[in-house]
Amino acid sequence: QNGAVFSKVRGSQSGQDSTRWHVVRKFLSLISSHNIAVYLIDPLILELVDKDIEQIRSSPDAPSPECKYFCAPRDFTTFALLDKTWKHEVGLFRTAEKMGFQWLKIINKDPRLDGMDDLSGIEIPLHYIFKLASHAIHLVVFYERSGNYLWHGPLRLKQHMDRKFVPFRKLHFGRYPGAYEKPELLLVSIDDLKVQIPKNPSSFLEEMSHSRFLECRYREARAFFQLYPDDASLDAVEFRRKAKSLLHLAVLTLNTLGVKFWLSSGTCLGWYRQCNVIPHSKDVDLGVFIRDYKADIIPAFQKAGLPLKHKFGKVEDSLELSFQGEDDVKLDIFFFYEEDDHMWNGGTQAKSGKKFKYLFPKFTLCWTEFVELKVHVPCETLQYVEANYGPDWKVPVKTWDWKSSPSNVQYNGVWPVDEWDDVIQIY
Amino acid sequence: MDEWKPNSTIKPHKKRSWYLAWKYKLMNQRALRKLCQTGAVLFLLVTVIVNIKLILDTRRAAYAEEEESAQDYDDEMLNVEVPRHPVSNKKVLDVEVYSSRSKVYVAVDGTTVLEDEAREQGRGIHVIVLNQATGHVMAKRVFDTYSPHEDEAMVLFLNMVARGRILIFTIKDEGSFHLKDTAKNVLKSLGSQVAPFLSWRDMWTFVGKKGGEVYGEKHAKSPALSTWGDPVLLKTEVHLTSVEDAECHWPDTELNRRRKRFCSKVEGYGSVCSCKDPTPIEFNPDPLKDNKVFNVPVAVIAGNRPNYLYRMLRSLLSAQGVNPQMITVFIDGYYEEPMDVVELFGLSGIQHTPISIKNARVSQHYKASLTATFNLFPDAKFAVVLEEDLDISVDFFSFLSQSIHLLEEDESLYCISAWNDQGYEHTAEDPSLLYRVETMPGLGWVLRKSLYKDELEPKWPTPEKLWDWDMWMRMPEQRKGRECIIPDISRSYHFGIVGLNMNGYFHEAYFKKHKFNTVPNVQLKNVESLRKDAYETEIHRLLGEAEVLDHSKNPCEDSFVPDTEGKVYVMFIRMEQEADFTTWTQLAKCLHIWDLDVRGNHKGLWRLFRKKNHFLVVGVPASPYSSKKPSSVTPIYMEPPAKEEGAVAVPAVAAAEQT
Repeated sequence: QNGAVFSKVRGSQSGQDSTRWHVVRKFLSLISSHNIAVYLIDPLILELVDKDIEQIRSSPDAPSPECKYFCAPRDFTTFALLDKTWKHEVGLFRTAEKMGFQWLKIINKDPRLDGMDDLSGIEIPLHYIFKLASHAIHLVVFYERSGNYLWHGPLRLKQHMDRKFVPFRKLHFGRYPGAYEKPELLLVSIDDLKVQIPKNPSSFLEEMSHSRFLECRYREARAFFQLYPDDASLDAVEFRRKAKSLLHLAVLTLNTLGVKFWLSSGTCLGWYRQCNVIPHSKDVDLGVFIRDYKADIIPAFQKAGLPLKHKFGKVEDSLELSFQGEDDVKLDIFFFYEEDDHMWNGGTQAKSGKKFKYLFPKFTLCWTEFVELKVHVPCETLQYVEANYGPDWKVPVKTWDWKSSPSNVQYNGVWPVDEWDDVIQIY
Repeated sequence: MDEWKPNSTIKPHKKRSWYLAWKYKLMNQRALRKLCQTGAVLFLLVTVIVNIKLILDTRRAAYAEEEESAQDYDDEMLNVEVPRHPVSNKKVLDVEVYSSRSKVYVAVDGTTVLEDEAREQGRGIHVIVLNQATGHVMAKRVFDTYSPHEDEAMVLFLNMVARGRILIFTIKDEGSFHLKDTAKNVLKSLGSQVAPFLSWRDMWTFVGKKGGEVYGEKHAKSPALSTWGDPVLLKTEVHLTSVEDAECHWPDTELNRRRKRFCSKVEGYGSVCSCKDPTPIEFNPDPLKDNKVFNVPVAVIAGNRPNYLYRMLRSLLSAQGVNPQMITVFIDGYYEEPMDVVELFGLSGIQHTPISIKNARVSQHYKASLTATFNLFPDAKFAVVLEEDLDISVDFFSFLSQSIHLLEEDESLYCISAWNDQGYEHTAEDPSLLYRVETMPGLGWVLRKSLYKDELEPKWPTPEKLWDWDMWMRMPEQRKGRECIIPDISRSYHFGIVGLNMNGYFHEAYFKKHKFNTVPNVQLKNVESLRKDAYETEIHRLLGEAEVLDHSKNPCEDSFVPDTEGKVYVMFIRMEQEADFTTWTQLAKCLHIWDLDVRGNHKGLWRLFRKKNHFLVVGVPASPYSSKKPSSVTPIYMEPPAKEEGAVAVPAVAAAEQT
């Protein structure tokens, strides 16, 4: 057998771990014997693979002269499993045991039903660990969710679980839940093992570095609706429908341009407080870092059927764009400027030329799901919302003055009159 | 941990021992010793309870109206202390059975497993089945044998129970009036000496092993027609067998492990638990070629009718082209037995905390189930919606696979349904024929995701509106003039007799004689002609070909339609405007089809079969097809009977009762 010969060669080399290679090979034969498809997502291996990707792609069947990838001594090798491609057969685990694997299953609540308090009975497997000798395979289960993306859960041990089964802290996946695009896969042969890998390992690794996912706070949202019953009027239903379709269009447009954005202001508050669009907010608000600004944004939205309504400020200062959606629902894009210890965006009063500044503590971006879309929100959402709406953000307010109501607003002078034509454009 | 051992060391079980000793005054020495040993702890417990009571009493004083809930709280506390399962590792079970006019109860080893003292409920013979090795309750049924046919259901049930099980019987109020000889003989064969002589308002309790010994029987005769027999209380002991004796020895496979788990828990499912040659629980029907609905999720909406669910899932999993991975059963409430059924078939099930009441509860359950379905299968463009009391035709998925593209492409469509409201044995003929109808039949249908997500979900009736979800979906605000595609011969069969809006008479009158397709792989005819415009062309072609019937005859008479086969006939009825269904309703009534509301119409046209001829009914002048009426023909007008007014359903059901 090719593998056996190969492993003898491996074993003779110093600093290499043929155990790992053997365990991976056994694992791959286990899952292929049950017709289950997995793909490699181990970041350390993908980094190495990425360096040789051209060569690997061009000669996918070439025998390896040496064990380059699967022999570095590590505690784990990480694979991904798409939930919908397998049937949860118990037989897999029985075979695994016969092959000498010890295995651990980590289950938790199904987040796809989490928004629905009154459903129960479903806990889903989030992670599996197959251990053999000194090496373990970490199998991360990915689920498809509304918004056309893949999700994996956090890895949390329950009381009775063996905390020393493997060194959990060293795992690459599971500290947080994560969101990913559906990857294109490539079948390759590396170290004489046939495995599927993401077609573009470097973009997968880049995606992984900021994949953290925040679940909406469904429990708190329900508590909110207990206190303040949802507006079920036809107007509210209609506004939500328009806001949702406007947001879908905006997301499509910005994603096509490659402009990173997040839910801001009222839209962010709606997500955080009630996991839905606030029916009496009259617009949709997005934030974009000024460094991600592209001149194509305006034509792209116009092409998508959203004419520019107004443009305030300029790229260097307080830029703000507003597009006209269906009926009177508008899309506001606020550009954020980064300082040493805070971020801010600007506001302009058209008739007076007065400038305002809204200050936020620094934040990073996380993925979340909102109205069937995968979108960014500030990870430090509470600070963000509190900065904007003050400590009483939990109480709905129907009259909101963007110039005076926000708790983080600062007066920021007046635009010089000769610049007005440029920085105050209304259509 | 999960098994309670009554004789093991005291500490962890003291509360239960106390409860048993207190309630049943066990004469057993060990129990008495235990009682003493736990005395001190008991004292503490009592103190705690007294304290809680005190707190509750204080609350009660403050909020007099909360009294009942405080009472509930007490009950719950007691319940917690009661061992839920009268458990194994013990050779003898103490069984107590009580029968009386207004109350029955059964206690097994101190646990009340049945207690019914509700007024005007639970009349008849209560039956409980215990596992002979563990003492677990496997089934609990009540057969109102005061009413007709219930004894037949009881016989059916008793025949399903495996040999060796412990059977407990007790009568509440009256259980003999419609208890026929067949049923009495079955009870006799179980060892009852009294059953053959049970009569009006007798009280009776019986405990025996199916196919084995009798553990006890008590009977109190009613002294006179106007009075009841004295209450009887039977106390007896049942000797448990070993677990091995109570189980079947099926080969050890994954399927049989599921079967074993199921069969050791519940009873009354017959051959699925038979030791010799059990009926399969995996069906592997033929796959469908080019199956367009293989990846469409299937939501099965269920309540607490596990026997129905069992029957339904069997037919569903036997349908060609079924994909078990896409099936989710949504159970309205935390019922165990429906979940056991779901697990028996290796499917996934989700329980739903009941919100609201009655129709609104069903409506909220539907909403939660549909939302969950699209969350779980975010890629899906459609969902198939089924209910637990439907048989599914062998070509159900084939029917959908051939027609689903229409729902995707034709925006004038609201749904595809497997059910033809007017498709009775005597009015449906052609399994390859489809119709467009303005009414939504439900009972096995396909929902478009965009319709649900964009239109229905955001404005779904809230719990306080006590609306039927299907009535709401039929309202013009929702339907917006769109139509459903249905088959001439239904691909589902509604077998449920017990239900929220259902009873035996109603079922007999409106559902029993429904035609149900049993032919596999039916190739649907001319599917493209079901598109909006093509359908009009098709209807005009049909009407052009149709022979006008003799309008001087009585349309209710059989002779109204000639004794031919395969011809197309048309009749014209009076229909003053779009919503005038006076004549149609009378016609529907005399044709013995659905007449409770208007179903199956398309622009004032109804299509059905009579004597194997296609039979078209056009409402004149409201229907746009009125132009096809020869000027010599006067549309038939049928007057509603003078009495009929007000509620529509009541007289119709009453009429059915007479037939």
